[in-house]
Amino acid sequence: MKLVDISKILEAKVCSGEEKLNDLEIERVGAADMMSDVLAFAKPGMLLITGLNTPQVVRTASIVGISTVVIVRKKQIPEETIQAAKMFGIPLLHSPLPMYTACGVLYTNNLKDIRSF
Amino acid sequence: MKPTVDKLIDQMQMLFKDLVAKDLMAPNVISISPDRTMEQAKELMRLKKISGLPVVENDILVGLVSIEDIIKALERHTIHDPIYKIMTKNLIVVSPDENLPQIFDKFTRTGFGRFPVVDNQKRLVGILTKEDILRGILEEFRLLYVRDKRRQDVIDGEALNRSLITGEEINKLGADFAFSIDYVEISLSGIGAARLKEFLKGRGIEEEIARKVAIATYEAETNVVIHSGSSGNIYCFIYPEYVRVRVEDHGKGIEDLDKAMQEGYSTATDQIREMGFGAGMGISNMHRYSDKMVIVSEIGKGVIVEMQFFLKDTANGS
Repeated sequence: MKLVDISKILEAKVCSGEEKLNDLEIERVGAADMMSDVLAFAKPGMLLITGLNTPQVVRTASIVGISTVVIVRKKQIPEETIQAAKMFGIPLLHSPLPMYTACGVLYTNNLKDIRSF
Repeated sequence: MKPTVDKLIDQMQMLFKDLVAKDLMAPNVISISPDRTMEQAKELMRLKKISGLPVVENDILVGLVSIEDIIKALERHTIHDPIYKIMTKNLIVVSPDENLPQIFDKFTRTGFGRFPVVDNQKRLVGILTKEDILRGILEEFRLLYVRDKRRQDVIDGEALNRSLITGEEINKLGADFAFSIDYVEISLSGIGAARLKEFLKGRGIEEEIARKVAIATYEAETNVVIHSGSSGNIYCFIYPEYVRVRVEDHGKGIEDLDKAMQEGYSTATDQIREMGFGAGMGISNMHRYSDKMVIVSEIGKGVIVEMQFFLKDTANGS
């Protein structure tokens, strides 16, 4: 699914990576709040849904090759986090949906989890 | 299980003859005082799932209650009698300085499953089972060392300038990549690993390998920031067959080796946990993504993590 469509479904504000919205195709999604879980289990190219808004999230994404980060649950995203996303060229979305709902709507739109790569 | 344990210990004992009882024993022994009843001893043994209970009066070991003693007390209806009437008083004990062959000799000659460890003033200081011995031997084998006096020179000495994995000399000034870790600003953690990944890709290292290196380094870097209370350094060396990463700090060191190795154990603060770290997976993740790993630590002196990552064609090692 194109990232632009995902951003619409998630009612998300695009904080960085606007230029990639129309090109980036997402197949896999994972959700986690523990960065060590992300380091352990993330797959390159996946989209990460997380309740964390620190710059570490973006650094972690860059290190494991996560293509897109969606922050849920948080009212604000610190400027540092947005700057880090811009620096690494990672699209950063901010969705008002709860994590459960964000995961649910993507799942019902046939996005896959991280298994069976 | 039992014969396997015996056989293993038998094979290992000469290799590890320098191990002594005080290194192997379980300290903090559960004990009971002699004026309690056998019934109370039985309950304590049941609750703590132990098959032998030392009897201690004013820190001095005066006897031992075994399962056999309990069974006899039940048969003879003396279960409500005080322990001192029934307990085994002729004890065979081990002193803290007895070495592995001496200890093993006692196990073989007596057929007992456990020995109290008693100092020269007859005070109970620990208990020793075959399982404790096996655990002690395995510990010696581990990749991961938390230091004791015998290895004091590791962190002080020339090992600092040698590979912990291959033993060859390494010149950190000549590292292909170096980064100094800022431990004051937690939000900066991960920058070193992210830069290292970019650097490796720039040097033509495959994405998949650069990713593994960066993930493992990220965990090591985060550990320095979270736990060490000191500054640290990341060094990376690219060789024809592999990439080597060293992450060093001069901080507190790893206090409890067993716990640090457990997935899920962490001493991280709530603040760290809120940032998504402190899940207790740092060392597991380093292990998962590196091909070889050695960690050396001494309390108060710091931690050195060295990891090797094979480049594709030698992925099976050489």
